[in-house]
Amino acid sequence: MGNLLASLPDQLSNTIGSLPYFSPELYLAALFLLVLITDLIFGRQSAWICRIIAIGGLLVILFKDLQQIGLILQHGEQSVFLFGNMLRLYKAAISFKLIIDFFAIVLIIYFGLDKRLNAHPKGLSDLYTIVIASLLGLHIMTMAVNLLAVYLAVEMVSLASYLLAAYRSENGFSAEAGLKYVLFGAVSSAVMLYGISLLYSLTGSLDYFGGNLVTGLISANPAMVSVAIILVLVGIGFKLSFVPMHFWLPDVYQGAPTPVTAYLSTLPKVAALALLINFITPFAFNEKWAAFDFRLFLSVIGTITMIAGNFAAVWQKNIKRILAYSSIGHTGFALMAVATFTTQGISALLFYLAAYIFANIAALMLATYFADVTGAEDLDGYKGLGLKHPVAAICFVVVLISLTGLPVSAGFNGKLLVFSSVYSVYEQNHNIWLLILMVTGALTTVVSLFYYIKIPLYLFLKKQETENITLPAEGAKWLIIVSVILTLIVLLLGVFPTYLVDIL
Amino acid sequence: MNLLTLLIFIPLLFGLLIVVLPSSLRNSYKYITLLAALVQLGISLLLYFQFKTGASYAGIDHESQFQFIQKLPWINLNLGGMGKMQIDYFVGVDGVSITLLVMSALVMVVAAIASWEINKNLKGFFVLFLILDMAVFGVFCSLDFFLFYIFYELMLLPLYFLIGMWGGARREYAAIKFFLYTLFGSVFMLLVMVGLYLSVKDPATGSHTFNMIQMMNPANYDAHSIFSTINHQTIFGFPARTVGFIVLFVAFAIKVPVVPFHTWLPDAHVEAPTPVSIILAGVLLKIGGYGIIRICVGIFPDVAVSGSFVLGLLGVISILYGALNALAQRDLKRMIAYSSVSHMGFVLLGIASLTTEGISGAVMQMVSHGFLSSMLFFLVGVIYTRVHDRDIYNFRGLGTLMPQFTVFVMIGFFASLGLPGFSAFIAEAFTLAGAFKSGSTNGLVPHWMAACGALGILLSACYFLWTLQRMFFGTERLKGGETWKHALKDINWREKSALIPLALMALLLGIMPSLVFGKINDSVIALVEFTKQYIR
Repeated sequence: MGNLLASLPDQLSNTIGSLPYFSPELYLAALFLLVLITDLIFGRQSAWICRIIAIGGLLVILFKDLQQIGLILQHGEQSVFLFGNMLRLYKAAISFKLIIDFFAIVLIIYFGLDKRLNAHPKGLSDLYTIVIASLLGLHIMTMAVNLLAVYLAVEMVSLASYLLAAYRSENGFSAEAGLKYVLFGAVSSAVMLYGISLLYSLTGSLDYFGGNLVTGLISANPAMVSVAIILVLVGIGFKLSFVPMHFWLPDVYQGAPTPVTAYLSTLPKVAALALLINFITPFAFNEKWAAFDFRLFLSVIGTITMIAGNFAAVWQKNIKRILAYSSIGHTGFALMAVATFTTQGISALLFYLAAYIFANIAALMLATYFADVTGAEDLDGYKGLGLKHPVAAICFVVVLISLTGLPVSAGFNGKLLVFSSVYSVYEQNHNIWLLILMVTGALTTVVSLFYYIKIPLYLFLKKQETENITLPAEGAKWLIIVSVILTLIVLLLGVFPTYLVDIL
Repeated sequence: MNLLTLLIFIPLLFGLLIVVLPSSLRNSYKYITLLAALVQLGISLLLYFQFKTGASYAGIDHESQFQFIQKLPWINLNLGGMGKMQIDYFVGVDGVSITLLVMSALVMVVAAIASWEINKNLKGFFVLFLILDMAVFGVFCSLDFFLFYIFYELMLLPLYFLIGMWGGARREYAAIKFFLYTLFGSVFMLLVMVGLYLSVKDPATGSHTFNMIQMMNPANYDAHSIFSTINHQTIFGFPARTVGFIVLFVAFAIKVPVVPFHTWLPDAHVEAPTPVSIILAGVLLKIGGYGIIRICVGIFPDVAVSGSFVLGLLGVISILYGALNALAQRDLKRMIAYSSVSHMGFVLLGIASLTTEGISGAVMQMVSHGFLSSMLFFLVGVIYTRVHDRDIYNFRGLGTLMPQFTVFVMIGFFASLGLPGFSAFIAEAFTLAGAFKSGSTNGLVPHWMAACGALGILLSACYFLWTLQRMFFGTERLKGGETWKHALKDINWREKSALIPLALMALLLGIMPSLVFGKINDSVIALVEFTKQYIR
């Protein structure tokens, strides 16, 4: 107790000193309250007000994120540790946050355009509140360097995700998906917590950047250490959905409302990758570290994930399920960039993720469009729609080309950057696993074309058998407009990737 | 404005025009496309006549010797510790590409004329056609590997839709097969491209570069890089440079196509509509041959020399296997598709010999086959649009029914089988001369391969003459009876306007091969000299 009192002033000043570096998160907390209160005051009619406030607030937060770059530069160091080594603010973390916040805005616009979500009796205000709360968790995930903070952030995001996944649970399938998600999520959190407790019991520390966690683990029993680390990675893997932690994903993606699928397949993934990078860095750069080969682990998992995700997608008929499996494949590819352990690898990863998210959100928006306007949810329903809805169908093709990674598209440049970052590491250490990763990445591109091209195949090549109905949908026009904009961005970044690379 | 840039992007401009035009004007689309193709032909002829020859304009591995160069910085990414990623918009032509440009432009005009038969989704067809057109010219002009790759991949999607939406009964299968085959080749090409990029440094700026010309200079390779010419690195235990060569070669061999990578071709050709068949046979197959000359041999000359036996062998196998297959076909279009496999085998044989005669013959064969295969596919299209049948045994005595058509068929067939006086004769004669010479000078290709190539010519005479005999001679007998007889009208002015230039070009190049050889000679000599240093 006496000890605590003596260190209290220090801790207090540390906390206060950390606050300026924490401003986007503080603003997020304020925005959360603001949206929540607006919802309470305006009641049922509040959806559009909440949306405007949320978007406006997020724009401010984007600006705050950008300010942080200057703050870091001013500080003159690579990274700043906050709140007694709980969080670490560094350049890549800010880039991750920028990606998260920017796409959160796109997603919030998207939520309001979905016909089925809009038909929800509760309205959408709660949804916005939950998303903003989850953003706070996502922000902390990108910066967390203490296992406690990691757990806290992951749980925060998970809880929000559970609510989102089951937001519209009028049908059995959706409810089942939500329940599945909660159960798997809870189990993997528990496993992760167990891993954390093992790490703590081995070293007496939770802080893996500054504390003696790494040094402690070096002297511990390697088998024990490996088990503990794998248990922690299971928790991260659940968010990232790499194989074998992926089996919840297709059902949840298919069962959840499409905009929620767009959320689940993008933002938590970005944050989880940031978290993974943060977790691995202190181990990877410690020369004495030999107990657990992270590069081997990531390479094996990455390879398996690419193969499993892409091959499983080939057999799917439902559009959202195809995109769900493809997102597993993309996770595998992203792990390839993480396995480089270089800053170049991280910047390649950032570009790759941004390109993926642009295309993925656009693809899901177009899936919503076709579902709203024609009621088509699987490939058979798409027959011949391309000629009736040419703009949407052409956008769909471009977006899928980007997801496959063919030029001229952002996805191709992302792939190129990742390949070159992996190659440059391979050139130095001739690690066979990196080569296997690259070959798998190239091979699975061909596999992925096989299922991505099915959508244009059905849209344009197949003849329509039955006369399809056109359902009235208000948001449809706006869905088209937003997805055209996203498609144009995808093309623009295909020709001039410099614009995005300079920001990130 | 740089003429090459104009040449590449003219189709895109016209394509945008078609996009914005309302569909009430849909009948004008074909004229707009034809106009675009004619403008391109004009520009390419201008380039051809302005093209300077002489040893100081040879090109190949000297950047300054290329002509009509335009080089603009395009993507400059700062990659931190890895230095800068330098990608240029870099186009230029040398002797190898200039003749192919003119040939492609003429083939595009013919394909545009052949597009008259398209009658649904006109907007989509012509926009895709023009995008494909742009990509083709981009490939032939690019001197930056990144730019080359982008144009190379850009061809795939339009072709997929062109075959898939306007093709025949099994079009879905043919389109996806074509797409997957080509993509399989090109994704691995991407890996090699990235490897080359990280191995090569631009001596001027010190940053890594995608410049193909810089990749040809062994001095630009980093000593520890994967494709280093000094330290022999390995990939999976194989020499890295050999692996790189093989990957690139497979990618282009799928395009050419070389047996055993050819199985997409008969399907794609048979299912594609006539204009697409024409572009496919006339232009796209040449991209494979061009890629092998410019990239495989240019960047990996050491491996090209040591692997020339295998290259030649594959060429000979293609010649013989393609010819034997053609002999066995009932479907006229399929027969011509297999004859393409056979004729493109000569290109590979010529390249493998690495002699001046052989490579000149290979380029000549590409130009000649461009004209002749377009003509043959157009001729098949003439019959098919009239009666929707192509089975050789369903026709007999067409000679009396369609005399003018038969004249063109005879010109096309005789030119293709290598009758002296036509371009294919010159091309095949040079290729075989190169192969024979190689056996006694540099020893890369043995004599028996040249002999087998000659056998291929004999086989091609067999299948062409036999087809002529079965379909056009004898008494008139048609499967469809009277209705077919009415439908099978002789060719009209539009069809003639497409066929006459092609026939004339085949004849002209047969009489005056200097039209091609004069332009390519310096580059070919430079290429042979460039590879000679690796021959032990």
